Amino acid sequence: MLRLLAPILLLAGAVALAIIGDRPQPPASYTFLSSADAFTLDPQRMSYDQDMRIAHAIYDGLVRWDPYTFDIIPGVAERWDVSPDGLVYTFHLRDNARWSNGDPVTAQDFRYSWRRALMPDTAANYTSLFFVIDGAREFFDWRSQQLAEHAARPAAERTRAAAQRLRLDAEERFRETVAIDTPDARTLTVTLSRPAAYFLDLCAFPIFFAVHRESVEAWADVDPVTGRIDQRHGWTKPPHLISSGAYKVVSWRFKRDMRLERNEHYWDSASVRSDSVRMVVIEDPSTRVLAFETGAADWNTDVAVDYLGDMLDARARGERHDVHPISRFGTYFWHFNCMPTLTGGRPNPFHDARVRRAFTMSMNKHDIVGKVRRGGEDIATTFVPPGSIPGFDPEGSIVGLPYDPPAARALLEDAGWTRNESGALTDRAGTPFPVVELLASTGAYHDRVALAMGAMWETELGVRTRVVRKETKTYRDDLLRRDYMLARGGWLGDYGDPTTFLNLHRTGDGNNHRGFSNPNFDDLLDRADRETDPQKRMRYLEEAERMTMEVELPILPIWHYATSYQFHPDQLKGLSTHPRLTQYLHYIYKVDPAKADPNPSSPPTKPSGTGVPPVSSKTSDFSAPVSKGQSPQTPPESDASSAMQSSEPTPSAEGAHP
Amino acid sequence: MTGLILRRLIQAPLILLVIYTITFLLAWALPGSAVLSDEGRQPPPEVLAAMEAQYNLDNPVAFYFGYLKGVVTALDFGPSFRYPDWTVNDIVASALPVSVALGLSAILIALMIGVAAGVVGAVRPNSFADIATLVIALIGISMPAFVIGSVLLIVFPVWLGIGSVGAWGTIPDMILPAITLSLPFAAYIARLTRMGMIESLGADYIRTARAKGVAERVVILRHALKNAFLPVLSFLGPAAAQAMTGSFVVEKVFNVPGLGQHFVNGVLNKDLFLIMGVVLIYASMLIAFNLIVDILYHWVDPRIEQA
Repeated sequence: MLRLLAPILLLAGAVALAIIGDRPQPPASYTFLSSADAFTLDPQRMSYDQDMRIAHAIYDGLVRWDPYTFDIIPGVAERWDVSPDGLVYTFHLRDNARWSNGDPVTAQDFRYSWRRALMPDTAANYTSLFFVIDGAREFFDWRSQQLAEHAARPAAERTRAAAQRLRLDAEERFRETVAIDTPDARTLTVTLSRPAAYFLDLCAFPIFFAVHRESVEAWADVDPVTGRIDQRHGWTKPPHLISSGAYKVVSWRFKRDMRLERNEHYWDSASVRSDSVRMVVIEDPSTRVLAFETGAADWNTDVAVDYLGDMLDARARGERHDVHPISRFGTYFWHFNCMPTLTGGRPNPFHDARVRRAFTMSMNKHDIVGKVRRGGEDIATTFVPPGSIPGFDPEGSIVGLPYDPPAARALLEDAGWTRNESGALTDRAGTPFPVVELLASTGAYHDRVALAMGAMWETELGVRTRVVRKETKTYRDDLLRRDYMLARGGWLGDYGDPTTFLNLHRTGDGNNHRGFSNPNFDDLLDRADRETDPQKRMRYLEEAERMTMEVELPILPIWHYATSYQFHPDQLKGLSTHPRLTQYLHYIYKVDPAKADPNPSSPPTKPSGTGVPPVSSKTSDFSAPVSKGQSPQTPPESDASSAMQSSEPTPSAEGAHP
Repeated sequence: MTGLILRRLIQAPLILLVIYTITFLLAWALPGSAVLSDEGRQPPPEVLAAMEAQYNLDNPVAFYFGYLKGVVTALDFGPSFRYPDWTVNDIVASALPVSVALGLSAILIALMIGVAAGVVGAVRPNSFADIATLVIALIGISMPAFVIGSVLLIVFPVWLGIGSVGAWGTIPDMILPAITLSLPFAAYIARLTRMGMIESLGADYIRTARAKGVAERVVILRHALKNAFLPVLSFLGPAAAQAMTGSFVVEKVFNVPGLGQHFVNGVLNKDLFLIMGVVLIYASMLIAFNLIVDILYHWVDPRIEQA
């Protein structure tokens, strides 16, 4: 009998061993659920939302956004000057900015971090954002060239010492070529290659945050074979991670949870409303909702379940008060392949802008959003979400194309495509319109959207359609090779300027997967780049947006993204609903509903700390009733409830930078 | 016995080498780029090219031997392309204990349920209890884990307020996922036990034992079960290894930070080092568990000569 029990005892012993040492964490001031773990806490390498959410909590930039209005407010820099020509920025750093180990945050820290972002070695996803700094592009190309030459040398010459020399040369070269100067530890001067009104906005973006040089360098070495700096990432994990923001990371367990606690050296500690924050990673959307509903967390950052439509209906009927759709700075669209021919040399009917317009105008976006997507997002007729960028199209004059099937058929006729007696679309010689192929990636709602779009075109235009479903990697390969007719796409803006969207349509841009090229459009963007008057500059950009959304249609915009949060508005305060959708975790705090605010819709009052953003009316009123069907011109932030949700498994953006 | 262990230890590296080679060929053939992520911004093309060069992604032969060298000489399974802050060693070190705890508790539960049900069924064949366990076993095998898991989640934490959703780290957190994971194994063990028991209950030595006046409880537990248990024991090796790594669905539903997700996500993301790392570790575990079972088998029943 003992022998029979032995395997069982062995198993029980192993289980006990595995459990030992896995202790649950103490409760935090508030807990939120994230749909994915942070990929990296190295700010220069970040590109995902969940990473940046942590970055805003543990690092402080030169400046920061007021999350409720997206005005620029001071961060590590207490003030800054801009030269009259808009080219030279001088930041004056405050003397009480400290790293979490007590070291002062210096101008040199920023220069070091920006150099990291510009070194091809770092493989930063957002390197190109730094190219607005004078000499940055040249430095990046020079270092790439230097590394390529090293890699081409015979193996015997590729030594550690040689790689070390390359690194020192690169540091020297950076000092000489890139216009970032540090006259003293508290002054940082940056010269741009062209006036870029959005440079301050970039400085509030995590990629531009500083890292603690000493602790980062401790984990860096050179790779003799390629000459690259080989950065290991032990420094991003507690206790090695030195932070400069409101919190420090006290524990990070891969794909499980992260715990942040107050950084006692933070200069603006008066603005920190919660002493500790806990992030719990739950990838499955239903489990996330159940975890929230059983009280495991105070805030679910992405509802994204299949039954979200039902939850939103319940909210509209007043039966649910914990789901809050919030619009985002991005657009869901379908790519039109704009090349003259398709794979295999077949002529591409979508090369003709009239055909692209006709297909756009014969699609009922309201039905797609309301019946297929079932989140009730605002439909999109433009690429730049209306009202999201101050100064861009303030009158809402860019309206895009309406839903108008008869006009669409007239356009097709103009382009040489007519319906024959059996209703099929043919050219004058009687050759039928090619079968319209819609390339969707699997695993989300894209194929359902594609089926609905196809059905509309079959009815309205008399074309035949086919949905091509491909696994994400293969879909992406096809997209990059432009081996498609129409393909699903989407884009989330990075910084508060229309070029974050419009650059996608530039000839040869790395994200121009459509092969779209229009010299007039490129010229408008070039003129905007050179223009020093911000107002005139916006007019050029408006013209560019109008051209692509009313005439050229390289993409077919369908809806503006939104995310649904889940939280109890009487218990959790301080969340922003601005469409740029960035949360500073230290502004968020929990209140005891028993001692609830007599006026639950009033915005949170903030202590009058130096860097605390002014409280504005844009702190959303989550107890307001739902109002659907707003016109697309209404700025989305004016009423959070108008925007609905999207369940993209979304990183910060879907697409590639050049 | 020593010979058996030695033979297995010599075979193991060869088996692992074959598995490594096959995994490498399959992983290499996956579509898409290893350094380009599916979504999000990408680094400039020259950076991607340099990364490919650093990790030998442009040279399959150098990659094959370079990675093998790292694994053999330093047990270094390389970086993860998808999670730049973590190495494959970090990922496995955090996920493996979780999977081991979950998988082994599932097997433990499966053994308790399965053996008990099997014995009950065998003692009174075709009785109500026998048919009931058969039906339950059938459900256990055929019902997918995401259905059972979701039902358990809704019934216990959501309706009854017992236990938590999406948490991991305490013994109560483990109970529901372990039960979900255990059901197919329990069902199989129940059928194995029942079969073995019916066979041994009809054997001569059982009749002898009963004729001697040995109590029925002792006959069943000590005489019959001992032989009936052997097929269960040989099933336990692969079952334990499978339970510890094949729990992707259970991990997803209950948000368990285990190893199973990395098999699936590694392939979807073409995270080459992660794929190779988890496959090699899984293969080593499978080999180790089979060896342990063989040793136990021999110990439980010394008549068996291991070939």
